[in-house]
Amino acid sequence: MSSTKKIWAVVLALCSLAVALVIGIFRATPGAGSPGTWTAVVVLAAAAVVATNFDVESRGAFTISGAAMVLVASLIVFRDYNFALGVVIIALFNALTFAQIKKRQWQKLAFNAAAQTLSLLAGAAVYWQLASSGSLARPGLVLVAAAASGFVYLVTNSALVAIPVALSFDERYRSVLREFVALDVGGLPFALLGVGLGWIYLQLGASVVPLFVVPLLVARRAFASYLELKAGQEQTIETLILALEAKDRYTAGHAQRVAQFCEYVGAEFSFGQRRMERLRYAALMHDIGKLVVPNQLLNKPGRLTESEFERVKRHESVSVELLQRIDFLAPVAGDTTTEAATAAVDGSGLIEPAIIHVADAFDAMTSTRSYRRALSQETAFAELRAGAGTQFNQRCVEALISAIESRDEHYGAGHEVDEHEWAVAPPDAGTGSAGLGHLIPEEQAAGS
Amino acid sequence: MKRWTGLLILAAAGAVVAVVIEISHPGSPWAPLAVIGGAIAAGELIELRPPRRAALPISFAFMVVLARQTTAKDAVLVLVIAELAPFLVRSEPTSVEGRLALFAERLLEGMAAVVVYHGMMQLLGAPPTRGKVLFALALAAFTPIVVAEIARALREHRFEVSLHGRMADVALVTSAMLMAISAMGVDGQGGMGLWGPAVFTIPLLAAWYSYEHLALIRSTYDQTIRALGAAPELGGMVRAGHAERVADLTVAMAGALGFSRHEVTQLETAALLHHLGQVCLDEPDDGRPPEPVAVAQAGATILRGTQLLAPAGDIIAAEWLPYREHTASRPSVMSGQILKVASAFDELSDGYPERAGLALEAMCSAPGYLYDARVLAALEAVLDRRGLLDDQPF
Repeated sequence: MSSTKKIWAVVLALCSLAVALVIGIFRATPGAGSPGTWTAVVVLAAAAVVATNFDVESRGAFTISGAAMVLVASLIVFRDYNFALGVVIIALFNALTFAQIKKRQWQKLAFNAAAQTLSLLAGAAVYWQLASSGSLARPGLVLVAAAASGFVYLVTNSALVAIPVALSFDERYRSVLREFVALDVGGLPFALLGVGLGWIYLQLGASVVPLFVVPLLVARRAFASYLELKAGQEQTIETLILALEAKDRYTAGHAQRVAQFCEYVGAEFSFGQRRMERLRYAALMHDIGKLVVPNQLLNKPGRLTESEFERVKRHESVSVELLQRIDFLAPVAGDTTTEAATAAVDGSGLIEPAIIHVADAFDAMTSTRSYRRALSQETAFAELRAGAGTQFNQRCVEALISAIESRDEHYGAGHEVDEHEWAVAPPDAGTGSAGLGHLIPEEQAAGS
Repeated sequence: MKRWTGLLILAAAGAVVAVVIEISHPGSPWAPLAVIGGAIAAGELIELRPPRRAALPISFAFMVVLARQTTAKDAVLVLVIAELAPFLVRSEPTSVEGRLALFAERLLEGMAAVVVYHGMMQLLGAPPTRGKVLFALALAAFTPIVVAEIARALREHRFEVSLHGRMADVALVTSAMLMAISAMGVDGQGGMGLWGPAVFTIPLLAAWYSYEHLALIRSTYDQTIRALGAAPELGGMVRAGHAERVADLTVAMAGALGFSRHEVTQLETAALLHHLGQVCLDEPDDGRPPEPVAVAQAGATILRGTQLLAPAGDIIAAEWLPYREHTASRPSVMSGQILKVASAFDELSDGYPERAGLALEAMCSAPGYLYDARVLAALEAVLDRRGLLDDQPF
């Protein structure tokens, strides 16, 4: 069966299950309570539509989940009104995202409606089991029940949504599920806030609900501008680096690859989101000092004279100086020279400069440079291992090698992405692993 | 002491005192007051920092909860103790005088909130209906913010009220109202006890978290731009400090010409990066610096490749456009002219204040097609305001 058919089958199965459950509930608890019940349905349904279209999610950070909040509020309100169907109605409205309606993604809408209904019913089962109606007099119990049902709702929803995602992207269900749960559970505080919304509605009335919305909107706006600026900044840095790499045609894509290798090592070391971001950013900018080296020197085929070498070498200290001007990066803007990197071996500082050092050396060895062709991955691994403990940080070396091997990736001779056209073909044999090769005396340069 | 450590100590101290009171005098009203006191103390260290607005501690909201919870006399007592704790624990301000001043200010703000709430409730008379309580709470919640504004104005000798970041104030006020009313309930409806304030603190914490991240990313972005701007200087291609001086001058000139804040920001970015193109150009063999037009074009090409910096790229590209032809159609042309004038001025004066008059003189004597007269007038106004055009002794 193709994945599209499978997805349709899942959607149909979930919709039928949801409809069956809803009919069952309707039969068990028929009819609406008072006129007040329908006011609650209207208010909460409107809140659900707004919330679901305004949610902001961010990987690794917290999630502003207005949807979870409105759903928990509906559990509380309709528990007191003894109107189980209200919860289902709110769940359906919660599935209405304008973006999907606009793009006419009916399959997704149907799926979301079914998934929301089922997960909310799962949450409701927990809540209605733990808290009795009129239980707002015992707020501690309501909060515990809300936390438990919010958790069940979020996890069930993740479990259901992960099915079509895993199918359509052909990924393993468990890894998708893990990612979704991590993302959704970040919204748990907002599920607790639903207790507040439910309380306001029941005790103070719908007219006070707007008071509650203001701080949420403020938080949402600040968070959205943070995410927007962050994305803009990433894009800016990446584009600038790419443009500046144009200075040195032998190192195209170098910064991106070093950043990628650093992320591999950071993941092996279980770095948190913030630390990973800083590492990636510093890795992207580790060669920023090359800005001050004239193009002719960077692209000079063959060997450099000593004074030229000095000028090229200066880019390392300029890189460090520039990074140190950025507070966020200053702590990891260690010199990437051997001494500083080995200082990190002793645990005398942050390990990030050592990671960048190893990643930089690995990429330099596995790329063709003006002074030699790319080495094979095995040779590069052997060079790294040979220098581990003296030139390179041992933990970083092992982490990088195991990360690359576990991903079954290959770099170096025969696996290079960029093809170069050389004015003077680089020599096959290396003249130093990551260095700039042997120098020629000034007199000889002048004579040649 | 790190903020988190301080925060935990303060909140834990409140909780411990509350537990001790509860054990020794079960059911005593002082136990919840101790928790609120702990929240006020810890709330001192959690400040909402929206862009372009002074920090706003969330303790202001807990002060309102305290006012609603008990009598004015008891509230003031709790307030004094609660504010003494952060006075001892906080890391800023570092000086004792600074801490004392802040302690006194906070005490005043808290007492004002308590007095306003109780005064209003007395004025509105019994019975305390939902509307009356909410009204009094709203006033009480605004009070510490107003007092803080007055204190800041007195401290800085500047009486101006900016509307930037005021949504944070509104969020704090509405949160405070909900926190206070949910704790005790109203109209005979039961409250949620201390769970109420705890629940309604969540949006404030979310706002705080978002503002903190926003502030960090903004400063990182700003510093990245400045670092990139300094790169040509570190490479010895441009005189040290040129980019920063030009940026400073363009901001002042754009202000004098009535540019909007957004335009000024774009222009400042362009000024900081206007030599970036130089690092991408080949060094001319004869040792002369590359042509300014080529530098501007190379820089503009790089910046236009990014979404955020594209407007700055346009400004840099516009530096060398014939300004008379384009001014009406392209707003970036005027910015480009400002940048060109500021940059030329800094190169002529070499950053020495005493050369300002001569440099301006030289630029005013240049052919009309080179510099826009309106921009030169703005430069003169800025230099004059800075006292750089005063008569120099011969």
